[in-house]
Amino acid sequence: MPPEHWQEQLRRGTLELAVLLAIAPGRRYGLEILKGLELTNLVLAEGTIYPLLARLEREGLIESEWVEGEGPRPRKYYRLTPPGRARMKKMSEEFLAVSAALDPMIARALGRRR
Amino acid sequence: MTLSQTGESRVRGYLYVLERSLRASVSRQLAADAVREVESHIRERVAESGGMPNEREALEEILRRFGSPSTVARAYSLEIILEEAEIGGRLVAVLRSLFHAALTGLGAFLTAFLLFAGYAIGVGFIAIAALKPVFPDNVGLWLHDGVSLGARFPAPAGVSPLGGYWVVPVCLLAGLSLLIVTHRLARRWIARVRERAGLRRAARGV
Repeated sequence: MPPEHWQEQLRRGTLELAVLLAIAPGRRYGLEILKGLELTNLVLAEGTIYPLLARLEREGLIESEWVEGEGPRPRKYYRLTPPGRARMKKMSEEFLAVSAALDPMIARALGRRR
Repeated sequence: MTLSQTGESRVRGYLYVLERSLRASVSRQLAADAVREVESHIRERVAESGGMPNEREALEEILRRFGSPSTVARAYSLEIILEEAEIGGRLVAVLRSLFHAALTGLGAFLTAFLLFAGYAIGVGFIAIAALKPVFPDNVGLWLHDGVSLGARFPAPAGVSPLGGYWVVPVCLLAGLSLLIVTHRLARRWIARVRERAGLRRAARGV
């Protein structure tokens, strides 16, 4: 598999988890979610977060509602659904498990002290 | 803050192009909702940018960071339509995806054309199988003006199609087989197109 292919797959999977994590504490609108992701290394063209949110909503992992009067324009807020919360929990656990297993191996392979 | 008339025109123009791009491939309702959300995002960014000493420059930066209308529309339609086809495999969704994917390049156009041809020929075989019992003297294998399989209305004078009702099971089997194979190939190709689209986004740092 070409490195960029692997990187893209990793990015897509991680990004989906990152979006679910960003929404997990409570309702969030698109720009708010994006600002949360800006703190990570997941660099995004801002416009591409919305198709991803649309897909997650289509999959029933999040739900949305338009709210007026909280910003210069009506905002579309997203919140996790119960299946979305379950998916987020499962993905987080799997991510942590993989990370915990790989960390020492990476440290050994790169000759780094942990 | 309030945008100048020029700034407002730029935002409205951006949203207009985005909506037109979206409506080529997603439903009217979905396009309207997406444009409303994008407008909300842009207005929020404009409001955050404060005094905007150079409004034009600041607005262009906001729109650049968001992505061009065609990039955003492509991301929406690829994510939605190709996802739909890949997950569901419903015929209408796959055909819509093929149509959309065909617009992404010459190679994709030719591939989509071949797949559409596969569907059309498959349907043609099944139509022959269905029509043969109804029009036995008009449907079958013709050895008149070359060799052809199909229906001729009216039948050429003094000429009858070769063979008999064997055409029905053969064409039915050929048609169904071709449709199944074409549909599987189409779904596989759509999945590859989606993957490549993801790679292109990654290459652009999206």
